[in-house]
Parts: sequence; structure tokens; C-alpha cells
Amino acid sequence: MNGPVIHDAHTLPADDNINPYAFSVDLDGQWFLQKGKMVAYYGKIDFQGIGLGRLDRLIAGSFHSPLHAADWVVAEGRGKMVLADRAFDVNSYDLDDGNLTVRSGNLLAFEPSLALKQSIVPGFLTLIGTGKFVAASNGPVVFMEPPLRVDPQALVGWADCPSPCHHYDHAYLRGIVGGVRAHTGLGGTSGEEHQFEFVGAGTVLLQSTERMMDAIAVGETGGTGS
Amino acid sequence: MHKPLPPIVAAAAAITVPGAPIAPIAPCPSAWGTDNVGSVAQFRLQGSKVLAVDMSGDTVKAKNGAMVAYEGEMTFKKKSGGGEGLRGMVTRRLTGEQMAVMEVKGHGTCYFADRASEINLVSLHGEKLHVEAENLLCTDGALRTGTTFTGLRGSAQGNGLFTTTVEGTGQAAILSDGTAIVLRVTPQTPLQVDPGAYIAHTGNLQQHFQSGVTFRALIGESGGESFQIRFEGDGLVYVQPSERNTVGGDL
Repeated sequence: MNGPVIHDAHTLPADDNINPYAFSVDLDGQWFLQKGKMVAYYGKIDFQGIGLGRLDRLIAGSFHSPLHAADWVVAEGRGKMVLADRAFDVNSYDLDDGNLTVRSGNLLAFEPSLALKQSIVPGFLTLIGTGKFVAASNGPVVFMEPPLRVDPQALVGWADCPSPCHHYDHAYLRGIVGGVRAHTGLGGTSGEEHQFEFVGAGTVLLQSTERMMDAIAVGETGGTGS
Repeated sequence: MHKPLPPIVAAAAAITVPGAPIAPIAPCPSAWGTDNVGSVAQFRLQGSKVLAVDMSGDTVKAKNGAMVAYEGEMTFKKKSGGGEGLRGMVTRRLTGEQMAVMEVKGHGTCYFADRASEINLVSLHGEKLHVEAENLLCTDGALRTGTTFTGLRGSAQGNGLFTTTVEGTGQAAILSDGTAIVLRVTPQTPLQVDPGAYIAHTGNLQQHFQSGVTFRALIGESGGESFQIRFEGDGLVYVQPSERNTVGGDL
């Protein structure tokens, strides 16, 4: 019988994946955590909502995203904490004095040495600084180099790229038939007329499906998960 | 269907050879009938989402409708969970922990799967497995199934106040959304689990429904992870890397 691996408080990995779908954080201090992503924990850990109180200073230093404050908590204490998200793939990423922008629904947790800011691009969050964060993707993440155009739903995030922008293929909208098509959708569209375009130096993170994670509505564009 | 015999031969061979897979099951109580000895259904995983059970005249209990294919001769009989007999019927009525179960008996190999969920094998050696009915795919026919009261935890999970128990010696297969993680609980290291991620546990564990509701949660700034099940004692807890929707919404 191929029995499952049994983990205990000591054999759980420290800040590493348990399997492709679960990540174990060796907590000694504080981590920011999106609500509902904690599956289990050993040790003594408290979960505090983000608001006024004794965490005020921590939040002033690392959390600059009031629209998302209701979705995040601070895990504080000592122990091992297992994170997972709807059986999606999870991975940790290390930033070294860097920046990375990620779809808000994909971000699970981050170290307070990073600062979380709302991206100018609606629906995305930017992490700046040095530290570790954990993000989910539907299927493994693929790293690409710009220049690149990507399907909005496959985009997980990007690092360093200075000018993310929309790109529309307008050829199919020309003429009367094209106009009708553009306004009514009659005549069929391939669904691939709109992309996000990245140029310049950086890295773009893609997931291998077009099913997105749910995220709270903050006026984002690029469609919702289908 | 073209070769119904080989699986039976394979199963029989596995039983006569005191190989590692069957060793834990081998010391059967002598009270068992002689025809029972050595005719224990063999559970194995075909990939991670299909369970193959090799049978030679013995029975297994499986979730109704979970059979996807079989080789050999099989009969399927509808049963209901929650224990046997009149008491079981009353229990089922009262508890609502209903498990539509079928009894599969035959010679050959039967394949089970459910909505492409991951399947985890659990070997029981006399201990009791507590599992949510919806997560139980298949058990050895020799295992007894029943229903127990879980208290508040169940209602927080949206699964009702009761849970299914599986007891005896043999194998069981449980379902999870994503590969399950098995976490050991010792008296020194109690474990807290999100109610929506819990699927099963074995061993001598006490569970408390732990609510971290603080003053601040009451005025609308909840900690989010306010509700947990705390396991204390000695045993194993199975959690899935995903959370069910619970009565309280996404906890």
C-alpha cells in the first residue's frame, strides 16, 4: 500500500511546500494572511483582523491596501501553519529588494518585511521590498520574458515590467459587419481580441488555465472568472 | 471483460505470499469464518483518482454510484449507512448523516471514482476512523460503519451535527479535494484545523470547537480565522488543501 506521508509538528517543512497544493510556514513572529487560506496549524498562533489596535504600527509599515483590509488577517505567534487555496497550486516566491504585482485573489500570504500596496491596475496588488510571499495559481506557473501579450485570464502577475497595458486586435472590428459584431457580439468573436501587453525588462507570470481565482470586486477590468 | 481471470489470480497470489502490503491485515481474529480468512479485498490506487479493488468473493461497501468500471463478476446492492438494522435506521432518520451505500460483492476488480477527487487509502487495525460521509468512498466489507455525534463542529462545517465512523480491521478509501495532508497529533503538539478543510481523523483524539471570537469580531472586524477545531491527544488528522463552503460563509 502506498501510504500517505504522515507529517507532524516537527517534520512539516519550514517555509516550503508540503505538496503542490499546500505550503507550510514556519511562523515565529508575524505574517499577513488572506482570510480562509489557513488550513491547519500547530503551536500558538493568534489571528487578528486588520484594523486599529496594537498592530497599528505593523500595518502602517506593511499594509497599504485599505480596499483589501477586510480580507486580510495578521497571524501572530509561533508554530507551523499550513496554507492552501481551493486545491490550486501554491508556490512561494522570494523578493530581494524587488517588486512583484499579483492578482489580488491569487495572493495567500506574505512576510511583513514586504509592503503590500494596491496596484494602479485594478484588481492587482503590488509587493515591494525583501521577503517571501505565497501565491496560488490554477496549474503550475510559467515565467515569460517581455515583449509579450497575454490573455487577461491567464495572467497571474508580473515583476519589474514598467508598462502593462491593454491591447486590442481591431482588424476584426472594421467595416459595417465588424461594427455590428463589436457592439452585439453577433457573428462570433474568438474571445482572444483583448490582451494585456508587456514591454521592457521584467518577468511575466502566467498560469496554465484561464480559470481565475475569485477576488473581491475593486473595479477591475479584464473580465471575471468564467 | 476479455480476461476476467488474471486479477483474481493476482489477488490470490498476493494473499498467499505474506508480502508487506497485506502483513498488517494478516493477523485476523480466529473467530472469523475460514472462508473469510485470506479473502480480504485488496485496495490499490490507479493513479490518484481511481480506486481499484481486487476481490475474490468478498464484499466492500462503497458510495452509491461510485463504480466506474469492473472486470469479472460483480453484484451491486443498495444499502444505507448509519449502522445496521432498526437502530441504524432510526439513527439515520434522526441524524441526517445519510450515506447512500452500496454493497459490492464478486470476483475480479472493481474500479471506483467520484468527481475526480483525490483518493487516500487508510489502513485500520482495530481503531476507529471518523470521516465525513461525503468524503467516504469505499470500505472493506469487514469494517463496521456507524454514526456519531460531533457537536458544534459539524454544524460549523455545514455537514450536520453527525459524522460517520468506520471501525475494525481493513482498508478504507477517503476522498479529498486536492491531495490530503496527514498531520499527527501528540499530547505535546495539539493541532488546530479549519473546519472546512477537515476530512477525517483516527486515533484517540478529543476535539473542541474553538472560537477565537474576540470583542473586535463582535463589532465587525473579525479575525477571519475565528473558528477552528482543536484536536488534542494521540492520532492522525486528514486535511484537504481546500475549504468547503460553511454555514458561516468562507471562514
